[in-house]
Amino acid sequence: MMKFMFMLLFIIPLCFLQNMFWLVYLFLMLMMFMFMNLSINIMNFCNLSYMLGCDMISYGLIILSIWISALMIMSSQSLLKMKFYLNFFLFNIIMLMLMLFLTFSVMNMFMFYLFFEGSLIPTLLLIMGWGYQPERIQAGMYLLFYTLFASLPLLLGIFYIYINNYSMMMYFFKFNSYECIYLYVAMILAFLVKMPMYFLHLWLPKAHVEAPISGSMILAAVMLKLGGYGLLRVMMILQKIGLKMNYIMVVISLIGGLYISLKCFCQIDMKSLIAYSSVAHMGMVIGGIMTMNYWGYLGSYIMMIGHGLCSSGMFCLSNINYERLGSRSLFINKGLMNFMPSMSMWWFLLLSSNMAAPPSLNLMGEISLINSMMSWSWITMFMLMGLSFFSAGYSLYLYSYTQHGGYSLGLYSFFSGVSREYLTLMLHWLPLNLLVLKIDYVMIWF
Amino acid sequence: MLFMINSNKMFFFFTLFFSTLISISSNSWLGCWIGLEINLLSFIPLITSPNNLLNSEASLKYFLTQSIAPINFLFSILLKLLMLNFFFHDLFSIMINSSLLMKMGSIPFHFWFPNIMEGLSWLNCFILMTWQKISPLILLSYYMNINFISIIMIFNCIIGVIGSFNQNSIRKLMAFSSINNLGWMMSSLMISESIWKLFFFLYSFLIMIMCIMSYLINIFFINQLFNINLNFFFKISIMINFLSLGGLPPLLGFFSKWMIINFLIMNNMFLITFFFIMSSLIMIFVYIRIIYSSLLSYSFKFKWFKNFIKYNYIMIINFFSLISLSGMIFSTFFFI
Repeated sequence: MMKFMFMLLFIIPLCFLQNMFWLVYLFLMLMMFMFMNLSINIMNFCNLSYMLGCDMISYGLIILSIWISALMIMSSQSLLKMKFYLNFFLFNIIMLMLMLFLTFSVMNMFMFYLFFEGSLIPTLLLIMGWGYQPERIQAGMYLLFYTLFASLPLLLGIFYIYINNYSMMMYFFKFNSYECIYLYVAMILAFLVKMPMYFLHLWLPKAHVEAPISGSMILAAVMLKLGGYGLLRVMMILQKIGLKMNYIMVVISLIGGLYISLKCFCQIDMKSLIAYSSVAHMGMVIGGIMTMNYWGYLGSYIMMIGHGLCSSGMFCLSNINYERLGSRSLFINKGLMNFMPSMSMWWFLLLSSNMAAPPSLNLMGEISLINSMMSWSWITMFMLMGLSFFSAGYSLYLYSYTQHGGYSLGLYSFFSGVSREYLTLMLHWLPLNLLVLKIDYVMIWF
Repeated sequence: MLFMINSNKMFFFFTLFFSTLISISSNSWLGCWIGLEINLLSFIPLITSPNNLLNSEASLKYFLTQSIAPINFLFSILLKLLMLNFFFHDLFSIMINSSLLMKMGSIPFHFWFPNIMEGLSWLNCFILMTWQKISPLILLSYYMNINFISIIMIFNCIIGVIGSFNQNSIRKLMAFSSINNLGWMMSSLMISESIWKLFFFLYSFLIMIMCIMSYLINIFFINQLFNINLNFFFKISIMINFLSLGGLPPLLGFFSKWMIINFLIMNNMFLITFFFIMSSLIMIFVYIRIIYSSLLSYSFKFKWFKNFIKYNYIMIINFFSLISLSGMIFSTFFFI
């Protein structure tokens, strides 16, 4: 683990040299493959010194974040073309990567909090520094203060656990359980904002709409998963109170997910549609975690990985269109099959994965989440039915609106996709659909 | 830099340090009082400069407030000496405490503080915000009325935040943020002096970088930051240091807050801690208002208004901001 950390640290000076854009990308990819070659013993918290206490879920999420950081660099080539504070951009990504790496790999709850918050500043910088409209200030403020407002009580909660439990190690959480409702709220609220749960999600569409492509990729792919990861860890110590209170969260997130997926049909901005769809998916993940059963934990993990790859790919696609047409509005992005037929295939593949079509991780995740919530209460069936149906609905809506029909008459000349973009999309789609072949690896993560 | 060329100021600088040492190391209250008075008399000549009218106004205000505070202090310690056998302990401690609060510009005697800061140069602001607080805080720790100070520190945090809303002058903002940090300092003083030392050291460090930077680019108001054409790294340093001052986690400023929150929770002071962190949250908002211009890499700037800074100053600033960027991370490696 130390070697990867040092690798990241020593990439930092590289960021400040000239013409190192692709080299940094290549190093991240190299790191990814070296990380994949680690032999990790799957059961919980083995390899304490060698892996900093990674278990299977942190391992998977670290791989996801390395992968997405590399793809972030790859997909924001327009910055390279314009030479727009390139060095600092790379530095920012590496810092973010380092923070995420440490967040997922530490065992100490306080260290987790520290790096959890630490990943906030690079994200804020990405949005405020490289965004497009002046509204990005507001979006950045929303992002920062929603998260900080909820996470400062988390700090108090962690210290409260520390003085009662005499330890902040996550492993020892399972030996203790509290029944204090304030502690419950303080511990989960930060993660629910980060996920985000319905009612707490207002920052997400704003941040996505204003963020540059790299910002929304990392935001959708990894930052939301920080919340899920934290909830999975924290639920361990909140078992008793969780049995009493969790139903509220399940109900809010499921019904909210249903509303949000209806709201997706009203969006005209592609990015905000994708952002809302990720709120709906995360609603299912929250539901699965909050039922606190085995299926739910597995399903939420698979769903997080799948959604990370899938939504990040869709943001890539929307950016590819944006770079060509100069707009993300669905009224202008229409009939694109006429211009970019091969890109249309990638739209189809990623959107079908988003609606949980068969060989994707999302399907696996959705099946297990449905299992977990159905075994918890049959009434959730109605919401789940609506969620799956409407997720297919808005994915098809997005697909048919952007690809079919006549194209906008105001279009000026542009070229169809370049191989870098196809490669980026393939690198999103391939793991999403091939990981199913080795699904037992993620199905026994704890 | 400013003091090295002027022998008068060097002398008063020396007595300034010396007086603080007198008052924090003396055995009797009277010795403390002498230290406070010498402190006042040596700071006033430091404030004044012949070519700025605001300075003399500030020095007059400073003289008035700071002479009232030690007089009250003297009065209460003498009264306490005379009436030692009676049981007015609460009254005496509150009297002594409030004169010290006035001396360091805390709630409810804080109104002079932003006004005087407005008239000082950045280096004097630095002294006023950090060094001038040492002796009152140490004396406060000798004879502290816990209930009184608990309320005072909560109000310090709140008023520090409320005062900094809609404030355009960076010096006033720093004054209010100093009032806010005073709350943290008093709470750390309540717990242990070593934590107070840590907090005070880190706070002084961050304020020092702040003041040096503002001194170098000669900035007094927020809107000046927006159209100044700065070196990119300098902008980033401003951002890092303000975020660090606000106490955002991976930066150094969080370390001191972490320590205090940890020990406050250990002593079961949940409500106070809650007030503290929520007020510090709003303080972060205020700081971020200042650093908008450095957060936005694509923003308006004048081409003809370029600010040149000596290279070695930039190296110093970058070194300090590197410390405040990575100091926390390296210190956490001990805990992983």
